[in-house]
Order: sequence, then C-alpha cells, then structure tokens
Amino acid sequence: MADLGLVAADLVVGLMLGCVFAVIAHGLNVIWGVTKVVNVAHGEFIMLGAYGAYYLNLYLGFNPLLSVPVDAAIGIGVGFLFYFGLLHRELRGKETITRESEMVTLVATFGLSLILSNVALAIFKGDAVGIRWAPETLALGPVGVPLGGLYVAISSVAIIAISDLFLSRTYLGNAIRAYSQDIGAAQLMGINPTRIAAIATAIGFGLTMAGGALLTVWLPVGITPLIGSTYAPISFVIVVLGGPGKMWGSLLGGLTLGILIDVLPAFGISTSIAVAVAFLILIPVLLFAREGILR
Amino acid sequence: MSARLVARDVRKNFGGVQALRGVSVTVEEGSVIGLIGPNGSGKTTFLNLLAGAEKPTSGTIELNGRRTDGLPVNRVVGLGIAKTYQIPRPFLAMTVRENVAVAAMYGAFHRKPGEARDDAGRLLSLVGMDPQAETVAAELTVQHRKQLELARAIATGARILLLDEVFAGLSADELPRSINLVSKIQKELGFGALVVEHVMRAVLTLSDHVVVIEEGRTIAEGAPQEVVHDPAVIEAYLGTEVARAPT
Repeated sequence: MADLGLVAADLVVGLMLGCVFAVIAHGLNVIWGVTKVVNVAHGEFIMLGAYGAYYLNLYLGFNPLLSVPVDAAIGIGVGFLFYFGLLHRELRGKETITRESEMVTLVATFGLSLILSNVALAIFKGDAVGIRWAPETLALGPVGVPLGGLYVAISSVAIIAISDLFLSRTYLGNAIRAYSQDIGAAQLMGINPTRIAAIATAIGFGLTMAGGALLTVWLPVGITPLIGSTYAPISFVIVVLGGPGKMWGSLLGGLTLGILIDVLPAFGISTSIAVAVAFLILIPVLLFAREGILR
Repeated sequence: MSARLVARDVRKNFGGVQALRGVSVTVEEGSVIGLIGPNGSGKTTFLNLLAGAEKPTSGTIELNGRRTDGLPVNRVVGLGIAKTYQIPRPFLAMTVRENVAVAAMYGAFHRKPGEARDDAGRLLSLVGMDPQAETVAAELTVQHRKQLELARAIATGARILLLDEVFAGLSADELPRSINLVSKIQKELGFGALVVEHVMRAVLTLSDHVVVIEEGRTIAEGAPQEVVHDPAVIEAYLGTEVARAPT
C-alpha cells in the first residue's frame, strides 16, 4: 500500500507539472488547430526554450520566470521564419491542407527535428545541465509545496487563460478562430489568410519555447539536447486528449498526464511504465472520443 | 458617392473550356440585378470573378472606377463587395452573433470587437434571428444558415452584395417569407445586389433588371417581365418554367 502522504505530495507535484505540460502542448495545439500542420520538431523547440532559459540564467542571472517573455519573443521570431520558410509554400492559396502538403510538412519537420537535436548535441554536448532556482518550500500539512513549481504553475494557467481571452475577445483572435474553422469563408469576411496563418504559427512557437523555459523548474539537473523526445510525445497525447484546437483541453489533458506520470510511481509503478500508461489512454480516446474528452 | 460595380466583357477559360465568353454587367448601389441562366451557363463562375476568387482571362472589373480583378478575395471585400456561398459556410463552432461580428470586424467596416458585437445584434434583429443569436452555428437549420450567410455578407459593410442562390432549397412556405425579408432589408439598407437565382419567382420579385446568360454569353437583358417573354430566353432555358410563372 502506498504511503498517503507520499501520494498527496506526488499529486501536488503532478498537478503543478501538468500545468507546464499544458503550456507546451498548447503551443503544438495552436499550430495544429489553426494551420492543420503537425510540427514533428515540436520537442526540439521545447528543448531550445529550456536551453534559452539555462543560458539566460547562466549569463544574466534570470530565473525561469523571467526567461519566459524572452523565450516567447524568440519563439515568435522563429515561428515567423518557420511559417515563411516552410509552411507558406504549402498553405498559400489553399482552403484545406492537401495530402501532399501534409506529407511534405511531416517529413520536413521530422528532418528539422533530427537536425536540431543533433546540432544541439554538438553544441551543448550530452551533459545534463540545469538551473538552480529554489525559492522556499511551503509546508501544507505533511505536503511540501516547492514555491518555484507553484509560481510556474500559476504562470502557466495565466498563459492559457490569456490566450483564451485573446482568442475570444480580440480582433486578431477572432480572425484566428474563423480561419481555423473555414479558410475560404474567413477570406470572404475580409481576413487575410497569410497574415493569420503566420501569426498563429508565431504564437504557437512562442508558447512552445516559453513552455520550455517553464519546464526548467522541474529539470534542476536534467536539461539535455534530447529532452524533446520525452516532451513531444507527451504534448501529442495531451492535444489528442484535450481535442485539437481546444484551448482549455490543453490544460485538462496536461493535468491528466501530470498526475498519471507523477502519482503512479507512488504505487510502485516505475516512471517509464507510467509514461507508457499515459500513452495507452490514447487508444480508447481515439476510438471513442475522437474530438477529445472536452465537448 | 454611391458604389458602382462594372464588369466589362469578362471572359474566363478553364483549360480549353470557355466558361465565360464576354459578359458585361453593371450593379449600382440601391438596385438589384438578377442573373439567370441554365445550369453550367457560367453564373457562379461570374460571381467568383467579381468576388476575386478567380481571375478573369480577359475583360475588366471595376468598383467606382478602380480595377478589382486580380485582387485577392479579402481585398475585394475590404473595398465593399461581399459574396454569399450557395451552400452556407458559417463558422460552425462560433455562435451566430460571433459569426456576424467577425464579418463586421474585418470586411470594409473594421469595427472594434465590442462595436462589432453591437452591430451583429442590430443586424440579427433585422434578419429576424434574434432568438438564435447565442446558438452555435452548427445547430442551425438550413434556412437559418442561409439567413446567417446573408447577415454576414451585410455585416462586412459591403455596398454591393453578390448573392448566390439565397433561396435554393427553401420549402414552399419558407420561400415567400424569405423573398419579402430580403426585399425589405435591401430597401432599408439600400445596398446594390447581383442575385444569381434559379427560383424564378424570387428573381421576378426582387430584380430591377435581369441579365440572362447561356453558355458563357449574355443572350438577353432588360426589365424582368420583358426578359421572361423574350423568345430567345424561352427557347434557351425558361420554356416550361415561364408558362407556370405568375406574370
């Protein structure tokens, strides 16, 4: 029987970690939901976000929270480059993504993922690094809540909430939603399709890299060039679980995965099995609730 | 200045097929032009050219003397020409109000999000869709989808509307109501419209002027009553339908 105090502690950590997962998945979700392009190199941009935070800490003394806006800004720039360098040729003038463009973008982003992780391996080397940022721990009865993780969790939820407000209340947000539902009709309302696809891609990359920075709180000695291969699959599961294009779905999916991955080990199940269990959930979801668990 | 859309000798080839072989139409603000012709005569192609969805092979399209052919759809809308889809394409996950508000935010008006929602409210009461304002578009009936399509086109602030078979698929008892509604709204707002229509009753009621095309060229035009009695038109297409149409 698992120790209840331990389970409670893992539950709290799982929830906080899940919030970060949600931001990372949200980045993938925005690009996928709006442009219908699946970015296979997603994990590598999480990794770059994490290294961004690491170097900002190393040279400028930034804590992970301070690195978030910097990483987000870099991500936005990268997103525009990614859109105009790769996606524009495939999406321009089309009302739906063609099978051919789907293949081209899958293969191209897969290639990009290999290039980025190997270049990162050459530059950053294989040694794990990390940021030592440990504000105090808050004692809640028997459970110790690390404040760093709590701040990051709060920031993550705020990021999701802001992006939801942005999409429902603003001029650009409405155009992005319209575009994601019907490109032809959006254009007929006077919306410039290229502009919207480029901005949505940029926002997606900004979120992804910001998520990488947030994640460093949970990787005190664990940033390597290969972390993308851990967190990209988690992001995919979350997006499918929450439903592509659904903003709060990312949060719900993130929390589910965070809890699974952190709580199952308390019952004596190894972490890698816990991750496998998380992926196993995908099968019933894909079979019975293809639009995700949120209606 | 009142808007004036002029298409001159517009031609369009798709590969070796000549879909349009020289059609000229003028639509002025405040007037309704009916465009009729048998299936495959080029009506929808012509509408797509005017809306900017396709480029003409030759000929010109001007709005108030400014060339619009060759501009992308979203630019054409920005200048004040909006089109409806024959099969409505609302943003399915948005509410009716949000659908109309998006059109008001972009389009030719560029309303702020808050103003756009107010505009949408006014327009929805005009088209009689107040009760559906907060309904998600995916749940609308065919008739409501058609009304929404029209409301969205109006909400763009366009002074010239291109209406593609707004009345097709409506039941016999929905039809007169729908025709009256469109006629009322058009008179109230004073926009110009080019109406592509199969439902003869709608064309005759709404139009000030009718253009008949067949195989990509104009075969007759004039006042609705003259056109339906034109022997060339009867022979080409209307034959049996005119015999039944109220005159």
